[in-house]
Amino acid sequence: MKRTVPLAIVMVGGILFMIQYFIPHQYSQTLFNYYTEWAPIVGAFALVLGVGSLTRLHSHKIKRKAKNWQYSYAVLIPLFGIPFFALIMPQNLGGGMMESMGGDRLTQGVFDFAYMNIQVPIQATMFSLLAFYIASAAFRAFRAKSALATVLLFSAIIVMLGQVPIGELLGKWFPKVGLWILRYPNLGAKRAIGLGVGFGVLATQLKIIFGVERNWLGGAGE
Amino acid sequence: MSIWEKMLDLDRRWIFLLIGIACVVPFFTPLGLPILPSQEVIAIYDYIENLTTDNAIFVGFDFDPGTAAENMPMGVAVLRHAFARHIPVFITAYGPLGQGMAAMALEEITNEDSDDYYVYVNWEDWASIREQGITDRAGIEEAWVAAGNTLAENAHGWVFEGRDIAMLGYLPYFHLVILGMSSSIASQFPTDIGGNSLEEMPMYQDHKSLRDIDLAVTTSGSSACVAWITYGREKIGLPVAFGVTAVMATDYYIYMQSGQIIGQMGGLRGAAEYETLLLRDGYTKSPGKAFVGMDVQNIAHLLIIFLVILGNIAFFAGGFNKKTKLKGRR
Amino acid sequence: MSETIGIWVAAIFTIGIYSFLYKENPLYRLSEHLVVGISTGFGIAVTFTQVLKPKLIEPIVTGEHGAWLLLIPAILGLLYITRFFSGVAWLSRYPMAFLMGAGMGIGFPLSMKASVLRQLEASLVPLYEAGMPWDVVVGNIVMVLGTLAALIYFFFSKPHKGPFFGTGSKIGIWVIMVGFGATFGFTVMGRISLLIGRIQFLLGDWLHILK
Repeated sequence: MKRTVPLAIVMVGGILFMIQYFIPHQYSQTLFNYYTEWAPIVGAFALVLGVGSLTRLHSHKIKRKAKNWQYSYAVLIPLFGIPFFALIMPQNLGGGMMESMGGDRLTQGVFDFAYMNIQVPIQATMFSLLAFYIASAAFRAFRAKSALATVLLFSAIIVMLGQVPIGELLGKWFPKVGLWILRYPNLGAKRAIGLGVGFGVLATQLKIIFGVERNWLGGAGE
Repeated sequence: MSIWEKMLDLDRRWIFLLIGIACVVPFFTPLGLPILPSQEVIAIYDYIENLTTDNAIFVGFDFDPGTAAENMPMGVAVLRHAFARHIPVFITAYGPLGQGMAAMALEEITNEDSDDYYVYVNWEDWASIREQGITDRAGIEEAWVAAGNTLAENAHGWVFEGRDIAMLGYLPYFHLVILGMSSSIASQFPTDIGGNSLEEMPMYQDHKSLRDIDLAVTTSGSSACVAWITYGREKIGLPVAFGVTAVMATDYYIYMQSGQIIGQMGGLRGAAEYETLLLRDGYTKSPGKAFVGMDVQNIAHLLIIFLVILGNIAFFAGGFNKKTKLKGRR
Repeated sequence: MSETIGIWVAAIFTIGIYSFLYKENPLYRLSEHLVVGISTGFGIAVTFTQVLKPKLIEPIVTGEHGAWLLLIPAILGLLYITRFFSGVAWLSRYPMAFLMGAGMGIGFPLSMKASVLRQLEASLVPLYEAGMPWDVVVGNIVMVLGTLAALIYFFFSKPHKGPFFGTGSKIGIWVIMVGFGATFGFTVMGRISLLIGRIQFLLGDWLHILK
């Protein structure tokens, strides 16, 4: 019951739906439709795992007054506050969530406010920090130490100049050569990598279906 | 400590400052250099240009706020194009945060302060027109204007919810949702995010499954876009176009060459190319955010190349290629 | 009013995070934590209104025809909760098995088609045709041989020696380096774009210096 049945469900489901692709039949199509309708419902509950883990981790941190425990409130308050405002609070008290597209509805409730003015700027700014680090890396780490590294460096510079309008001013051939690199040698390399990844994905899928790969079972008991 | 060693030992915060300046100053001294659209972007533009009000497209906001600076202008540009040509658009999101991104894109397009805005007509607001049995695009607009509604001078047109747009939003396990939509869109999204029934929408009547859809444009900051190929293109032959971040763009030329996607917008440059085409054909009055951003990229790219060259000169001139390690703070 | 407050809040967080470039600080730490809390909270609200309410609760409450069948995915989904109770944690494998097995079965033929067969097919291009520009001819040769050579480089079951595996893998690594160079070039553009996006916000939406 603990391991065999889940593994059997995976194998039967996997083989059944693989066959369904090659031999579509009315019955298997009905089964397929049920599956695609149910999967998002089952998947929605997976969020419970994330919420549970976060709550457990941060409430423990607060209880034990671990290092930087105060910041755990910054996780827990929005974690429960945002759904509370979105789903339970009435609209005149800052509740509700994006419904209608007209007007300036995105600035009305707590839900939209937190998304637009806290989540979006924080996430966007954190990602943009990488611009500074890539500039620093360009200066400190990007060295033509060997013939191969030099090829990489030249390819990068040509493609960079080919992408910006000023590149064309510096040399008409920059955009052309840049595009040529992207469309041919780059494509050859990426296709080989893509094929490798593709075969890897297929092998993993088969290994999971036939129960060879069982890591997904996790440590929930034998 | 030699000058080269000093240079390589420079506190990296000076480089941070330099790159910051290089990205701020050009906003005040725009070069205004033209951007020539590439074949990859023209292919998407022309494809949408050849669609009519009888067709329908999907636009997937399959990215998070982290890559919005690149992906958002792509989504906005494609939506503007579709709205201008009255092509019905279904909007979906691969992740929950993407749904918010889609809402923000619509907010931008319907912002009255912009030169290129569209007036959004809510589903309930034009209920009386539907009750009269008018469902074709031209008829709806005619009845709407006849009801005394006038378009502001700086507005481009109306967007009728349920006829021009259906905001479907996010569902988990989206690759399976794509598969499910190949049988029926309403089986996956019985309503839009506002709770309006999809089956009552005029745009749904001729486009009940992905098989009735003419193009899916996925604006993506992750490999989510590949799901549209695997589960949409390969399952039912759905034409797919990519709008991906620059970091990913080089990986996806393989799908362009294999014909699995009709075109690709790569990074801010790709978005700027689409904006250039919209501007050229009068769909917008002023260049968009991506176009302005690319102008700033000029100096930043030159600076990065300069840093690479300078770093190498210091490295070799200082003879560090022969030494094992540099001293000091790295 | 709330819009102005919102823009100021966004600007404070933006600048606060950039202050990390100078030194790690409490505002950055606060932002790090907030982003986790808000995105998960957002996910809960959206998942409830987009999935559970219209696809599960409403059909059951309104007694839609055949809605009782939805109890199956609902019960399966609820089994995820058992993960937090060590005695019955194994039950959480059932919803996972339901999603994974069929998902893999559906995905297998489609992945094979999308990522392998179509890609192999696309590699078989004519190297030369009448009227083909020379850069395309050279490009096609580079692409086809490059793919083959890079594949040899990743093929570890044979030692990279001899005219086929040895030379092939050498050419392969050169082609891969050109590809990585292109990726680096694009990555620079991508990262700078993200920074430009924030500067557009600060100078435009917040300070109104830019239009």
